[in-house]
Amino acid sequence: MPNTATLQREAAVNVYRSVEQGLKETGAETCGLMFIHCAGNSQPEQQVRTHLEQTSGTAFQVWKDGATQAIAVLLPGLSLDEVHYEGLRIKHELQETVPGADPQITLASFPEGERPSKATIQHMAESSKLIDSSEIHIYTLDNTADEPERILIVDNDPTVREFLQLRLKMQGYETYEAVDGLAALELIEKVTPDLVLTELNLYGIDGLPFIHHIQNLEMEQPPKIVVLTEQRVEQTISQCFRSGVDDYMTKPFSPVELDARIRRCLH
Amino acid sequence: MVAIYYVVFVNTLYFSILALSFRNIWTIFRRSHYSKYNTLSGSELVPSVSLLVPAYNEELTIIENVNCLMTLNYPTYEVIVVNDGSSDATLNILLKEYRLKPVPNTKIRGKIACQKIRGIYHNPEFPDLYVIDKENGGKADSLNAGINLSHYPLISSIDADSLLEKDALIRMARMYMENPEETVAIGGDVRIANGCKIENGAVQDVSLPRKIWPMFQSIEYLKAFLGGRIGWSHMNGLIIVSGAFGMFRKDAVIAVGGYRDGYPGEDMNIIIKLHRYMLENKLKYRIAFCPEAVCWTQAPDSYRILSSQRKRWGRGNLKNMIENRGMLFNPKYKVMGMVTMPYNVLFEALNPYFRITGLLALAGYVLLDMTQWPILVLFGLLNFVSGYLLSVGALVLEEIAFKRYNKLSDLVKMLVYSALKFVGYHQLGVLWRLQGHVQFMQNNNSWGTMTRQSWSEDEKKTSEAA
Repeated sequence: MPNTATLQREAAVNVYRSVEQGLKETGAETCGLMFIHCAGNSQPEQQVRTHLEQTSGTAFQVWKDGATQAIAVLLPGLSLDEVHYEGLRIKHELQETVPGADPQITLASFPEGERPSKATIQHMAESSKLIDSSEIHIYTLDNTADEPERILIVDNDPTVREFLQLRLKMQGYETYEAVDGLAALELIEKVTPDLVLTELNLYGIDGLPFIHHIQNLEMEQPPKIVVLTEQRVEQTISQCFRSGVDDYMTKPFSPVELDARIRRCLH
Repeated sequence: MVAIYYVVFVNTLYFSILALSFRNIWTIFRRSHYSKYNTLSGSELVPSVSLLVPAYNEELTIIENVNCLMTLNYPTYEVIVVNDGSSDATLNILLKEYRLKPVPNTKIRGKIACQKIRGIYHNPEFPDLYVIDKENGGKADSLNAGINLSHYPLISSIDADSLLEKDALIRMARMYMENPEETVAIGGDVRIANGCKIENGAVQDVSLPRKIWPMFQSIEYLKAFLGGRIGWSHMNGLIIVSGAFGMFRKDAVIAVGGYRDGYPGEDMNIIIKLHRYMLENKLKYRIAFCPEAVCWTQAPDSYRILSSQRKRWGRGNLKNMIENRGMLFNPKYKVMGMVTMPYNVLFEALNPYFRITGLLALAGYVLLDMTQWPILVLFGLLNFVSGYLLSVGALVLEEIAFKRYNKLSDLVKMLVYSALKFVGYHQLGVLWRLQGHVQFMQNNNSWGTMTRQSWSEDEKKTSEAA
């Protein structure tokens, strides 16, 4: 069998690109992909490769991902149950040969025409680091569709922030919080939220200038802005809508209504 | 003997005022803790306010302060900065920072005379900010120009070197809304910001000044505002609303002809005029003091600047008293004529003369063997203790109701400095007042020098020191 395994110690992004490339180039109907993450710093990629060379009948490829310290294994032609079987064997092998390795494995098989994007591959690599080592994690494409939307809560009242955060987390959103306008602007650039839920009375910078600032940030996809505030002056409300906020709610608010409005803004 | 009677009398009066302050402090405490200012700060029912900010050579602090003023918790308000013909870059800094454009054909609802206005600037991106550029004419003149442009029924005067707490304005407005018919003016509490940590136009960390001059002033302000003004406002005899932060009903200010120009003490002058106008027209009115509305200001931190400020105050006080001498002991003017004005003349304006003659007389008694020196010492000690008690009383008020200084070391420092005040600083105060009177006699009308420090520079210094 010809072995086309190549070892790349390049930047993590290139690994994902190579994986993506590999997935595309393989002519097989399905293609298995596996990420192995072992405890400790040394990743036993050599063992994995030797093991595959001896047992596997496919033209596999192996990379090392510098960012997550995981080993990526591409197994063209293998369906999900075959990849899973391969995973079990590798796990057993590693447990036998590398003491204390404790391998965590995430695997998936992608049929033709449903090849994953680079972001999905990256997400898969990251998930291998987080899962429990006692089982093998089967990664499904649905996971990526369900990737939680990020919401940034900006309010100087800690009680309001805590309440909103709990509530929105329960709805399955990923939440961040900021106390004032300047901290919020910094955070927006860092975490690129899908939606900013903000009070208008903030320290540092507030109200319309704050909204203008968010809109003028150089981002691929500017976040939606929902205002949740004490301000109930009609003129302010209309000014906010004119400057392009997506929704406006006044305090005290109905949490159910807020959920509905946020859902509508995001979908 | 006159001196002794004077001291006894003045202390009795001080203590009664302090007692009045104490009587009200519980109400104030409950008001400041349990009122729902948040809900009020977004309500349509709160009257709109125009903030007037006279600025003369304020290039170092102006942006920070305007930023702070534009992020107040208040439903509808506008900020009107009046550039009083500054010789530095104040105007240009403002125009650049907020990308302001001249407004063509502005309507000035000119009711009060003021210096020629060179231009009015505005930017629709900051809809609530206006900048007036006018010829130099003094603080009162700038306020008048601001009143002419203002769009709202309430006006609030704010010094360009002061920072308002975010809730200060809404707290004042609440007090106004309790009695909008009668309230014509409300004063706010002014505190010394030297030594505090200032970030994004807000006081983040309160602590006492490190330098000695601002430290003395901190104690002085605390005593004057909490120990004095709460009591005075209770009997509607407030004679001054600090120029650094006050709120007025615009129609009342226009009715008395606006601010009076040409000499220091325009903040005291407008209040006396309001009292006078209301009493002469037999209108029910109230001039209130709102201690929970806090404004932080930079105190002069060198002897030269402090003395020139105090001389100016002395001059302004004397001039106001002489101009309004007709109100003195005139029953027509009620509390104002019978208590406040006499108090102010006897114990504020003439205070240096009593002190000096009293001291000379006492010294004379001792030298002529008319009395024994232990009596003199006892007398001095009594004077000191009563004065100290007054300061401590103000401190107790502060700790009951506001608790802004919550470090133990700060409290100890305040107690120590309250005592130290009587060795030197107090006497200097008497001297400055006297010098102010001399200046008044010489018809010296200058403002003296007042240099500003940038807030951020101050902050940098404190962080370096820490």
